[in-house]
Amino acid sequence: MSNLSFDSTRCELMRQYLDSYLSNELLVETASEVVRHLESCESCSRDLESRMRVRDALQRAVVNRPVPESVRADVLRSLRESQPRSFMRPSTTRWAIGLASIAFILLSLFAANWTSLRRREQLVASILKLGVSDHIVCAIKGHSYPEVANSPDQIRNKLGVRYGVLLQVVQERLPGFEVLEGHICSIPGSDRKYVHFITHGRGTILSVILTERNGAALPTDKLLLRADSGSLGIYRDHLSGMEIAGFESGQYFAFVVSDLNQKELLQLALGLAPALNETLHTTARLLPPNATTQLAKHG
Amino acid sequence: MPHLTDLFRTARLLLRDRHEAEDLIQDTYLEAWKSFHRFELGTNCRAWLFKIMFHRLHHARRRLAKASRVIAIDDPDVHEEPAAETVVAQEISDEDVLNALEKVAVEFREIVLLADVEEFSYKEIAETLRIPLGTVMSRLSRGRKLLRQELAAVARSYGIDPCAKRADAAETA
Repeated sequence: MSNLSFDSTRCELMRQYLDSYLSNELLVETASEVVRHLESCESCSRDLESRMRVRDALQRAVVNRPVPESVRADVLRSLRESQPRSFMRPSTTRWAIGLASIAFILLSLFAANWTSLRRREQLVASILKLGVSDHIVCAIKGHSYPEVANSPDQIRNKLGVRYGVLLQVVQERLPGFEVLEGHICSIPGSDRKYVHFITHGRGTILSVILTERNGAALPTDKLLLRADSGSLGIYRDHLSGMEIAGFESGQYFAFVVSDLNQKELLQLALGLAPALNETLHTTARLLPPNATTQLAKHG
Repeated sequence: MPHLTDLFRTARLLLRDRHEAEDLIQDTYLEAWKSFHRFELGTNCRAWLFKIMFHRLHHARRRLAKASRVIAIDDPDVHEEPAAETVVAQEISDEDVLNALEKVAVEFREIVLLADVEEFSYKEIAETLRIPLGTVMSRLSRGRKLLRQELAAVARSYGIDPCAKRADAAETA
């Protein structure tokens, strides 16, 4: 990043987009434009970072404030004791309120379940979007790979001990694909780091991406597919024109992203996931705990 | 009672008084069961309950408008200061953040809460508050800016210079 590209008019325009960028409300094209600007403008990147910190602090402060246990009971009691305000006669009111309350609670529980399902789908999409964003920003728009593949040693050097061992797995488990590049990258305006393998095959670019979960988790039920004899759940989605398959492995989310069709991508993900999962767990056991922060130190 | 926690904490931050917040929640659920026939199954129950809550809140607020401190929300003089380069330092507690939020006028505070804490989309917020999408965007932008300015003031009161911290961070990087 450099201040040399500072252009006050451009920055002013981009800063008008930052609030919508933060709320994930921009069209993909405009979001890409913002990302490109952030890559070259330290000032705007700092501004976005500042806004994200304030939002995160606010979320934390509000959620951490306890809701008194008595509130629910108080509200329920008040509802029961509420005087009828309707056209009903007093003699029928108690029954009517009782029945209506039961109906409301049953129906709202049904609605809550539906809402919960919808939120779960949104959660899955938001996690899978991490992989799609890095694939689009780094591999597709950023074209951060050479035409001729880097040597395995070059790639291992870039990835370090912990992630270098994954190169062999990616190379062996993606038949028909050649690993062009492996590195640790990030998206402008975000602290998140990605271990990123960029491969080429079947006439397209395919990314294998890992990022730390940082406490987030995919839902454990209603998995789309299971690999590895049922112990590893794989989710898939079609986001921003890309097919993505993702799964949880130890402290990481792992993603396979490409514009291949859904069937092809899932076959590749199912072939890769168990071996990648096993290698990550083996590495976690062998490397000392203080090495687990390696991803955070890169980039 | 689904979503009571989300509704209560939002009400509490808009009304500042626990009992008023409880009354509002009670009214909201009462209204919800009375008009449940209008709820479309398959739509977002949480957004529907928030919509009812804000409708009742705004109705009560309109009645009290004359007695309240009213900020002309489209008054450019109030909001055209440059955005503070705010950092949220470790010294700033959750309570400081909530106190800073309370200083933001309620018209902006409610949108910041709906967007940044409850994570509603702009469209859902526009429907909940019955205002145009453009107004959601401009109020959210101003609300976030006001909150950043309040937090910058808190940081300065602790002897933290947000701009200096920024400069340090840039040098370190």
